[in-house]
Amino acid sequence: MLKNRLIPCLLLRNGLIVQSKQFKRWQVLGNPTTAVRRLSVWASDELIYLDISPDAVYDLKRDDLNHPNRGSLAEIIRDVAKYCFMPLTFGGGIRTIEDIRVRLGAGADKVSLNTQAVLTPTFVTEAAETFGSQCVVLSIDAAINGENRHEVKIQRGKEWTGLDPVEWAVEGERRGAGEILLNSIDRDGAMKGFDIGLIRRVVEAVSIPVIAIGGAGKWEDLAAALSEGRASAVSAANIFHYTEQSVLNAKKYLFSQGFNVRDPKLLEDKFRDKSSVHDPTLAWTDKRKCIG
Amino acid sequence: MKYCQRCVYPEVAVNLILDDEGVCSACRVFEEFETLTGDFWAERNKRFDELIEQYRNKDQSNYDCIIPVSGGKDSYFITYMIKVIYKLNPLLVTYHGNNYLPEGQENLNTMRKSFGVDHLVFGPSIQTLVKLNRLCFKRMGDMNWHAHCGIETYPIQAAVKLKIPLIVWGETAWDVSGMHSPDDYVEFSAKSRLEHSMRGFDWYDMIDAEEGIEARDLLWARYPSDDEIESVGVRGIYIGNFFKWDPNWHAPKMRDEYGFQMARQPFERTYRMFSNLDDMHENGIHDYLKYIKFGYGRASDHASKDIRTGYMTREQGIEMVRRYDHVKPRRDLERWLQYVGMTEEEFDRIADTFRDPRVWRKDETGKWVKDNIWEDASEG
Repeated sequence: MLKNRLIPCLLLRNGLIVQSKQFKRWQVLGNPTTAVRRLSVWASDELIYLDISPDAVYDLKRDDLNHPNRGSLAEIIRDVAKYCFMPLTFGGGIRTIEDIRVRLGAGADKVSLNTQAVLTPTFVTEAAETFGSQCVVLSIDAAINGENRHEVKIQRGKEWTGLDPVEWAVEGERRGAGEILLNSIDRDGAMKGFDIGLIRRVVEAVSIPVIAIGGAGKWEDLAAALSEGRASAVSAANIFHYTEQSVLNAKKYLFSQGFNVRDPKLLEDKFRDKSSVHDPTLAWTDKRKCIG
Repeated sequence: MKYCQRCVYPEVAVNLILDDEGVCSACRVFEEFETLTGDFWAERNKRFDELIEQYRNKDQSNYDCIIPVSGGKDSYFITYMIKVIYKLNPLLVTYHGNNYLPEGQENLNTMRKSFGVDHLVFGPSIQTLVKLNRLCFKRMGDMNWHAHCGIETYPIQAAVKLKIPLIVWGETAWDVSGMHSPDDYVEFSAKSRLEHSMRGFDWYDMIDAEEGIEARDLLWARYPSDDEIESVGVRGIYIGNFFKWDPNWHAPKMRDEYGFQMARQPFERTYRMFSNLDDMHENGIHDYLKYIKFGYGRASDHASKDIRTGYMTREQGIEMVRRYDHVKPRRDLERWLQYVGMTEEEFDRIADTFRDPRVWRKDETGKWVKDNIWEDASEG
C-alpha cells in the first residue's frame, strides 16, 4: 500500500523564501537553498517548491552573502536540485509546455499547474500527454466565497473562477493529472488546522492521490488530514521553519501514532552527516573573491 | 527609495518587506505583539512554567539550563528571570571576542556576583581573532563574523559537552525585520545561525592560507552534528516568546537593581546608551559598514524600535537618522585599524566594494550619493 507522505513546502517570492499568511502577507525567511539543505536531512518524503512571485524579478537584495544571487528561476531550480535529496515538485508561473520543460530540465521531478490549468484546461491534458501523469500535479487553491461555498481561486489567490474545487479536481483527474495538491486560502498560515471537510470531499471524488496543504499548526493537524480527511499525503510550509528538525519530529509523531509513514529511523546517520549544512564538501565554490 | 510609512526603515533593510500599504514587516509584527492581551501573556507565562519544570534538574546533578550571555542588558534580564524569578540554576556561557568596552567587560564580570551564578567564559586566541577580523572584513564587509559565529556556536557546544539540554536565549532575533510572528513560537536553529547570523559562511570557509588560519584554530566555530544535538536533546528557546520585551524598561531596572552600567561616553553612531557594550565595533565601524552597504545604520534600527514603542515620534526618528547614520566613527575606526594593522586608505577602498548598487550611485563629481528619508519625508 502506498505510504502516507509528509511533504514540506517552500515558498519563493522574488528570490527569497517567505512565510505566507492567507496569500496576502509575507515574511522573509531567507535564501532559496539553505532551507532545502535542512529539509533534505529531516526525513521529508518529497519537497514542494512554489514560486509565488508577483513578477519575474529574483533578487537576494544583498550581495554580502555566501550564496549566489541568481537572476533567473531556472538557475534557482538548479541550485535547489543540487541540495534536494528527495523528489522535487516545482510549481508557480507555469504557462506553457516549454515552461514545464525548463523546470524539469533544471532538476524538478514533477510540476504543479494552477492558474493556467483553469484558463486552458487542455493544458493539463497536453502536459500529461507530453510528460506523463506521474509528472503533473494539479494545484487547487480553494477559498470560501460570499455564498459560504468553496470556490477555486487563481492568480495567486486574487481571482475567483466560479469553479467548484471538487468538480475541478475530478476534471483534472480526467485530463490526466497524477495528483492533486489541495490548498485552502482561508487556512493558509492560520495554524488552525486543515479544512478537513473539503479534503474529504475531494478525496472521495477522485482516485488519484490528494496532497492536503494549508493550516497546519501542530503535528496533530497533520494526523487529522490523513485520518479524518483521508488525504494520501500532507504538506505544510510555515510550521516547518519554526523548530529544529521539524519534519523529522512530525514524522516521528505520525509514526508513533500508527500512521503508515516511512519509518523515521530509516534515515541513515551517515547520509544525514553527509548532506547536512555542516558538510564542507557541499559549500558554495563560486565565492566572492578576496579583495585587497 | 521607499521607506516604511511608520518607522524609518528603507525598503532595502535586511530581510524586510514593505506591504501594499507601505508598512514594513517589522512594524506589522510589532502591531501583532501590541494587540496581545494580558490573557495571551498569562497563557504564554504558563507555557513557560510547564516547559521549565520539564527541564529543572531534580537531583541537583547538573545545571538546569545554559544562558548565553554577553553581559548586556538582555543577558541581565534573562538571568534575572531564570535565576531570580524562576529560581533555576543556570550556567552562564560567554563567547569572548576581545572587543569589550571597559564598561561592557565590567558588566560581564558583575553578573556572577549580582545573580550568584556560575559562569563559563571562552575566548579564541587573539591571533586567530585578529586574522578573522581582517579576513571577514575583506570577504563579507563584516569584521564581526567571528562574534556572530562564536555567540551562536560555543554555547551549543557547551550544551552538548556538558549534557545540558535547555538553552535560553533572549529576544527573538527576528523582530528587527519582522521575520516571525508571536504565534510562530520560533526556536533556535542551525539554519538561522548559518544563514542569517553568519551570512552562509561556516568555519570551513575561513580556512585561509594567506592569513594562516587552519582548521585547528576554528574548533570553537564548529556546530555540533544533528545527532549530537539529538542525543542530548538540545533545544534553544527565546524568552521573548513568553514575556513582553521592552529594553527601555529592562535597562533601567537592571541598572538600579543589579549593577548594570550604561555606556560612559556617547557612541559616535547612535543615541542609545545601553546597547552593544560587549563589542565596541558593533555600534562603530561594523555598523558603519552596514551604512556603506545598505545606506542605513544602527540609528535607523534604534529609532525604528523607539518610534514603535512610542519613545519618539517619526520626525524625531528621522532627525536621529540624519544626525547619526552617515557618521564615520573616528575613535572606533582608529582602534580597529591598529588592531589588525591596516591603513585607512585600504579600509575605504575595500569598504567601497561593498556599496550596494540598489542604494548607492556616484554623482557627476564622483562622490557616492543615495536617497535620504528626510528628503522623502514631505511626501510621506
